Amino acid sequence: MKGFDVAVIGSGPSGIQAAIHSSRKKASTVLLGKPSGSAMSGTHVENYFGIPGKADGDGLLRTGIAQAVSFGAVHIPESVTSLSVTPEGFRAVLEGGGEVTARAVILATGVSRVKLGIPGEKEFFGKGVSYCAVCDCSFYKGLKVAVIGGEAEAASSAEMMTRYASEVFWVSDDIRAADYAVGKAEAAGVRIIRLKPVSIGGGERVDSLNLSDGSSLRVDGVFIELGARSAAELAMDVDLMPEVDDTIAVDGSCATTVPGVFACGDITGRPWQVARAVGQGAQAGLSAADYAKGTAQ
Amino acid sequence: MVTELSEATFQKFIDDNQLALIDCWAPWCGPCRRMAPILEQVAKAMEGKAGVAKMNTDDNPDLSMKLGINAIPALLIYKNGVPQPPLIGLRAKEEIISHLNALL
Ligand SMILES: Cc1cc2nc3c(=O)[nH]c(=O)nc-3n(C[C@H](O)[C@H](O)[C@H](O)COP(=O)(O)OP(=O)(O)OC[C@H]3O[C@@H](n4cnc5c(N)ncnc54)[C@H](O)[C@@H]3O)c2cc1C
Repeated sequence: MKGFDVAVIGSGPSGIQAAIHSSRKKASTVLLGKPSGSAMSGTHVENYFGIPGKADGDGLLRTGIAQAVSFGAVHIPESVTSLSVTPEGFRAVLEGGGEVTARAVILATGVSRVKLGIPGEKEFFGKGVSYCAVCDCSFYKGLKVAVIGGEAEAASSAEMMTRYASEVFWVSDDIRAADYAVGKAEAAGVRIIRLKPVSIGGGERVDSLNLSDGSSLRVDGVFIELGARSAAELAMDVDLMPEVDDTIAVDGSCATTVPGVFACGDITGRPWQVARAVGQGAQAGLSAADYAKGTAQ
Repeated sequence: MVTELSEATFQKFIDDNQLALIDCWAPWCGPCRRMAPILEQVAKAMEGKAGVAKMNTDDNPDLSMKLGINAIPALLIYKNGVPQPPLIGLRAKEEIISHLNALL
């Protein structure tokens, strides 16, 4: 376990800019997260100051991370699966099994735009479809469930569900979670099905999940856990209450109501734009560095 | 005031309130914890118009099963003792209040 002054959770433009400003202020900084999970990945930016034409999003992310690293930041391209408060600050558990500690933490995880959007999802919400394994696990004791999603949150949810359900299927044709997380789920008895879910079936309640090869799984519940652990959940981990729309409220210095926790970028509200994300990122990086070094006014 | 219900008091609360809203929750559920302060505000705003209570699904597993709850937070609604479609998942105060007002 390694200790830092500042841990930035999220490797999109906001988190990267935060890491640049924090490390330039001589705070030891770790930047966590996969740039491929950024809203900017796979897109072009056309309206950013000083960059003519269409700028390649992935290229900007790569260059930004290299800049942060050149100023001394350490980049770990893994998702954070949980966050907790320690006497010295905060501890982030990583999907690869490691941990980092830091005196200050910056939440910059963006907003999730991934939607499953398959037939049956809306109709069976609350009738076997759930978006929160932690909330609803105990209602599936001795039953069969499927967990959908390719990232760390699906891996840990599937693993946890083995403690309740009689059989747990993890369904995804695009598993991106770290090998460690996948191995842990498999060791717990999760059956991995590398197919696309196409629809959820049932009558009064869910009774099946239909797959891209035409086969069908008999299940009582379907847990939809797309992406990595969200900012709202990470915030709750450290007793920070998100707004009802899942945004994190910050003041002008990007501080939240929990001392040592800062937030920036899309998760703090609209407009969802790179210019706003990096502006707030710079502020959050400076504020967190000041806080960590005990120089906050 | 938000009353905490148990299996023993659940039915009486529904009988005593023409319009009853019951939040089914559990301590480990993040969205449920976020719902708690919202529910307090709803209770205040609806005072005299609707009864607002909560029920811990962890402490009342048999009742939860009988009610068919499998996702929380779940806001159960009863009008004159008759169950109405529930609101599942975290909801804004304004949405819950306008939903209840429409049932008055
Ligand atoms: C198709 C499209 C086109 C767009 N075009 C433009 C444009 O032209 N101009 C413009 O200004 N904006 C544009 N945007 C919006 C812009 O991309 C976002 O406003 C910006 O990326 C927000 O930055 P962010 O750092 O807040 O979040 P994101 O860029 O979304 O980054 C979030 C980061 O957090 C990581 N993460 C999430 N959860 C965890 C976790 N648990 N642990 C660790 N890391 C985690 C993700 O992997 C990612 O690295 C566009 C967006 C889309 C989707």
